[in-house]
Amino acid sequence: MSAAVFELRAVEKRYGALAVLAGATARFEVCRAHVLMGPSGAGKTTLLHLLAGLESPDAGEVVRPAGVRLGMTFQEDRLLDNLTATANIRLPHARLRGAEREAFLARERAALAAVGLPVDARPVRELSGGQRRRVAILRCALADADALLFDEPLKGMDEKTVARVMDCVVPLFSGKTVFWVTHDEREKDLLPDPVPWTVRDGLIFPA
Amino acid sequence: MREGGRLRTWGVRLLVAAFWLAVWQLVACAVDSRIILVGPLEVLARLVELAGTGEFWASVATSLARIGAGFLGGAVSGVVLAAAASRLAAVRELLAPVMGALKAVPVASFVILVLLWVSSRDLSVVIAWIMALPIVYTNVCEGISQTDPALLEMAEVFGLRGLDRVRLVYLSQVLPYFRAAVSLALGLSWKAGIAAEVIGLPDLTIGEHLYDAKVYLDTPDLFAWTVAIVVVSVALSAVVGKGLDAALRRWEARP
Repeated sequence: MSAAVFELRAVEKRYGALAVLAGATARFEVCRAHVLMGPSGAGKTTLLHLLAGLESPDAGEVVRPAGVRLGMTFQEDRLLDNLTATANIRLPHARLRGAEREAFLARERAALAAVGLPVDARPVRELSGGQRRRVAILRCALADADALLFDEPLKGMDEKTVARVMDCVVPLFSGKTVFWVTHDEREKDLLPDPVPWTVRDGLIFPA
Repeated sequence: MREGGRLRTWGVRLLVAAFWLAVWQLVACAVDSRIILVGPLEVLARLVELAGTGEFWASVATSLARIGAGFLGGAVSGVVLAAAASRLAAVRELLAPVMGALKAVPVASFVILVLLWVSSRDLSVVIAWIMALPIVYTNVCEGISQTDPALLEMAEVFGLRGLDRVRLVYLSQVLPYFRAAVSLALGLSWKAGIAAEVIGLPDLTIGEHLYDAKVYLDTPDLFAWTVAIVVVSVALSAVVGKGLDAALRRWEARP
């Protein structure tokens, strides 16, 4: 169904005997940042996967804007291990050629330097866990997308690195719908004018 | 430290090789019959003599070109069929008994059978193709099936489809499997191709010279041509392996 908003309508989702979402209903304004908070196992990741279209609800409806282009940072990095950081970040821009490609490469290199990552010819399998995480975040933030979905992107990152990463990516959120899943309530202060949500007991509420 | 370790490894290898060459030479002296066994020194002398002739290089080039063409055909068709089989279950089911038969039937049976259908000139091409096809097909199928579903999910979210998905996700996952298949198939194709030449006897090929050596009980020639086959096999494997590795490294290192 086409719409200009992201919406959950009485969404239910079970995994075997485990009911993860039990009638979750919410309307997410586009071009805003939405922070989804809640305890472990509350269903935040399931909710994000439903919004991304990676899973279907058992009951209810998930509505997304027609033709919406997505970018996502998963809980795992999901990088192509044998490619460089720049090749991984450029993955959603597979069709870029010539001058456009060079211009994007310059953007990638600037972003890598801004978040404290080396710009070299090493495949990402040779990077540390923290470095790989930053590559995954940049791949999502630099994607030519209307909505960006982040699943605990800053988990395990020290404060200094968090500051560098957010300084680099927050300006890229302008005009985009952002879904930001986190355990840490403090992270909502890192985003511009976010709408806070709590996911608990299979439901989602404005926080 | 690492340099010292490498030197020691090479030193040990050289000593082992020297030991077995000495054993070979001693046994040849003890047997003292050129028809039964010739020593390594005599083989080397004959090989040098052969290498000085144009016929030797023409024969090596002919065998290499035909077997190489068959191997390339097998590798390309293996990749294409594996891609089709991974996409369509019907193709996979249809090809399963064919690939099973290609792996199970002895090379000698294929050689005799194929000789009924094609000229002896093209025999080694077909045999090398038959050897390479099932290995490349099986490995590439395995690589495609082992592609991490989490990466495919990631590609789906980012809207990466069709050839872009093949080029960026599948290729990087399948290349190590393809590399292993090429390494294995190359050696097998080469050896089976030469065996096919020995039976088919096309003019001016390594197989023909091996057959002649057997017919005329020319044991030094038999050994010299065998050494030449092994040397070409090792060199081919090293050149193709290093070439593929270099291409892979370049592809991985691109910005």
